[in-house]
Amino acid sequence: MNIKQKRTLIIAAIIIVALLIIWIAFGGHIFTRTQVLVEKKDELFPDMVQKEWVNKFIWGLDLSLVISVITIFIGSILFYLFRDKKRSAELS
Amino acid sequence: MNKFLLSFLTVLFISTIISAQGFKVKTTGIQTFNFEDKNGRNQASFFSATPLEDITGTGNAVSGSVSFDVADFAKTLKGRISVKVSSINTGIDLRNHHLQSSNWLYADKYPEISFEIVSINDVKQTADNRLEFKAKGNFSMHGVTKEVVADVDATYLDENDQTRKRAPGDLLGVRSKFNINLSDYDVDNALIGNKVAEKIEISINIVGSNK
Repeated sequence: MNIKQKRTLIIAAIIIVALLIIWIAFGGHIFTRTQVLVEKKDELFPDMVQKEWVNKFIWGLDLSLVISVITIFIGSILFYLFRDKKRSAELS
Repeated sequence: MNKFLLSFLTVLFISTIISAQGFKVKTTGIQTFNFEDKNGRNQASFFSATPLEDITGTGNAVSGSVSFDVADFAKTLKGRISVKVSSINTGIDLRNHHLQSSNWLYADKYPEISFEIVSINDVKQTADNRLEFKAKGNFSMHGVTKEVVADVDATYLDENDQTRKRAPGDLLGVRSKFNINLSDYDVDNALIGNKVAEKIEISINIVGSNK
C-alpha cells in the first residue's frame, strides 16, 4: 500500500465515520425526512391535540448508507488506480 | 287513585331524566354540526408501530356532519365523517405515494375513508357539556366496510366570543380512537415487506359548527 492508497483509505474512513456521527446527531432515525410532526393543543378544547407537519430536515440512516456505499465505491476505484504499477508488474 | 297516578308520573319523569343522556347547555332541539374546516385543522390520524420505525400519518381533508337532539344525544345521534385519502401525509413523499397507490389504499378508486355512526352506548356524562361514549359504526376503507367500536369524547360549546373566533355558531369538539386490522380491509401490508404493522390505531380530532 503506497501513500496515495493510504490517504484514500483514511479519507474514506473519515467520511464514513462522519456520516455515522451526523446520523446519530440527528436522532438516529432510520429514514430521512423533510417534515416532522409537532403537536399543538387546541385553545378551545384543551384535551384535543392537533398534529402539524413542520418543514425540518432529519438525516436518516438510509442517507448515511447511500453516501457510505458511494464513498466505498469511489474509494475502491481510486485505491485501484493509485496502485504501484511497477510493483504489480514485478509480482505478476 | 291520585296517589297512584302521582307515583307513576314521578317514576316516569325520573326514568325519562335518567335515560335521556344529553348535553346540558343553553341550546335545545335537534342540531346539525358540519365538520368541514377550510383551514384544515380537523384531522384524522393513524399510528403504526413497526420494527424499524413508528409511522404516523395525518389526513386533514375531513368532511361530514352529525345531528342529534341536544337533550337526548344517546338516542338521536346519527352522522357520517369522512377523510380524503389524497390528504394523508406521513412526512415522507415516497411513503405518501406508496400509501395512495393501488398496492395500498388505492386513492384513485377509493378516494375516501369514512365512519358512519350506527348506535352509541356506555354514555358517561363527565361534565354538563361533555359526554364520553362508545360509538358503533361502519368504517369503510379500500372498498370494504366493517363494523368497529370507537371510544368517543364529545364536548359541546355554546356560541361565545371565543368560539366565534374559530367559527360561527355552537361548536362540537370530538375526539375518537379505535383500532383496525389492515387485512380486514384487503390491504396487503406484505407487499411492502411488512413495513407497516397489521394493527393500526386511528385517532380523530375534529371540531364542527352548527351554522
